[in-house]
Amino acid sequence: MGAPGPDGAAGTPPAIEIRGLVKDFAVGLRGLRLRAVDHVSFAVRPGEIFGLLGPNGSGKSTTIKLLLGLLEPTAGGCAIFGVPSGKVEARRDVGYLPEAPNFYRFLSGRELVVFYGRMCGLAGAALRQRVEEVITLVGLAGSADRRVETYSKGMLQRIGLAQALVHDPRLLILDEPTAGVDPVGSAEMAELILALKARGKTVLITSHLLGQIEDLCDRVAILDRGRLVAEGNVSELAGAPGRLSFETDALPSEEIAALRAWLESRGRRLESVAPARRRLEDVFRAHVGRGARSTEEKR
Amino acid sequence: MWLIAGNTLREAARQRFFQFLLLLAFTLTFGARWLRDFNFGAPELKFLADCGFGAMAFLGAALTIAATAQLFFSEVDNRTALTLLAKPVWRAEFVLGKLLGVAALAAVFCALLTGLLSLVLAWREAELVRLLPDAVAPGGGVSHAMVALGGLMQWLRLLVLAAFTLLVATFAQSQLFSVVTGFLVLVVCHLQHLAQDAYVRAGSAAGLVASALISSVFPDFQVFQIADSLAAADLPATGDVLRVTLYALGYSAAAAGLAVVSFRRREI
Ligand SMILES: Nc1ncnc2c1ncn2[C@@H]1O[C@H](COP(=O)(O)OP(=O)(O)OP(=O)(O)O)[C@@H](O)[C@H]1O
Ligand SMILES: [Mg+2]
Repeated sequence: MGAPGPDGAAGTPPAIEIRGLVKDFAVGLRGLRLRAVDHVSFAVRPGEIFGLLGPNGSGKSTTIKLLLGLLEPTAGGCAIFGVPSGKVEARRDVGYLPEAPNFYRFLSGRELVVFYGRMCGLAGAALRQRVEEVITLVGLAGSADRRVETYSKGMLQRIGLAQALVHDPRLLILDEPTAGVDPVGSAEMAELILALKARGKTVLITSHLLGQIEDLCDRVAILDRGRLVAEGNVSELAGAPGRLSFETDALPSEEIAALRAWLESRGRRLESVAPARRRLEDVFRAHVGRGARSTEEKR
Repeated sequence: MWLIAGNTLREAARQRFFQFLLLLAFTLTFGARWLRDFNFGAPELKFLADCGFGAMAFLGAALTIAATAQLFFSEVDNRTALTLLAKPVWRAEFVLGKLLGVAALAAVFCALLTGLLSLVLAWREAELVRLLPDAVAPGGGVSHAMVALGGLMQWLRLLVLAAFTLLVATFAQSQLFSVVTGFLVLVVCHLQHLAQDAYVRAGSAAGLVASALISSVFPDFQVFQIADSLAAADLPATGDVLRVTLYALGYSAAAAGLAVVSFRRREI
């Protein structure tokens, strides 16, 4: 929330730049084409957390794959830190967690992270140390020696995050990182993302959990049927300018009436009064702490 | 690239199916010794060798085709290729890594079986010499260099087969299609010399063009038959061996190159 990251004015290229991106998929035999991404343009500044939102099938994952050079764009282009996607160098400083990730099931969690670390050019003691670091960071230290095929959905997301972080990239692209992760886990993930931001990393994240995005992102873009329909600061988009809300101790009805009368005497209106509620998520997190988690990690 | 190859090999090594094939081939080679237990001297050794190489050729081809298609599609279908290719990895590295992984698998297969065959032959030869002192003519014994050469030829053949199957897999949509096409390629390559004969005898222009096309696109697997004997005297000249090796490497490289080009366009 609040201040956008440092501007790209001083000659530093944006972390992500997408210009006029179009992607058509051929569907069916009669050359029918489906436009999954339709003239999308936006930029992500270094150091910010950027949310890419949209309903199912709106083209979020496709945009990300185009960005990573996994798909060829039909038109337009994108660049990562100024390097056009499609070049291998563009992917040097990026960690990617695909949606519903799947990994080599015949490896153990640790072997998997080691493999990806090697792919990114790490080796020796530095690699071993980094692998232990990220495995602990994502909370899988207790299950790192089990084969990936025995992992649950949430554990797959975690090992995927470890894999994305292993080479300490400047940019992190997370496609629905909290799908299948329990609320405690996703809160931990949000903390982790904020910690990464504090270290100057840039994060592009997609999610359907708008509550979470809202607490996390500096800016968001909203896609609908492949088109960019809104983009801006979270506070600008979601805030209601010129409006305010209160939370107080419980009040008897005569005091509420008095408050209303006082406001009306000054030409204002009290528009809503409702009992305050805690969010279910907070209740859940209060009851299911880290202590409960350690049972899962017991061998 | 080496990492991908290593990982591919590790995946294969941890799969039941491939462990099973290896075991089966072992059993066949070893079991051939009991298949016919009437001592008829040197021809029996030849029979043993044929059995061993037959198992190697048949099961090796099955192993190679299945492994190539399976290891390639397991990456694509399980979406592990997404994560891998999002790392700073060239597409060419991916394809060549897969090929090298399968080549290494085939090499392990051929080396193990050739070693085993050599042992079985040496053992049986010793036994025969003891039972029928004059059954094995002096100098007519088993040449282990020849057996090793046979193993090498088997591997070269599997390498070419792997490269062709991989080429098919890079543009095929399904694993089954790749496997079936791989076997078709195998058959065509074995019957290749027939096409060449037809090429020579073809009456019609169309037949001439077709057979010329087939014989230039597909390699001729008959060329790998240069080690079809057990006698040291039949050991082919080094030049011939080199020529056949280059022939196999050339075809493999061409197929691998095409596979890289075709995989560059693939959407994953
Ligand atoms: N390989 C493909 N072939 C054909 N159509 C595709 C392909 N990949 C995606 N699409 C189509 O492109 C559109 C956008 O898909 P995409 O996966 O980008 O959506 P998304 O925004 O990530 O949705 P979700 O929230 O469900 O993950 C969808 O209509 C989808 O059917
Ligand atoms: Mg998606």
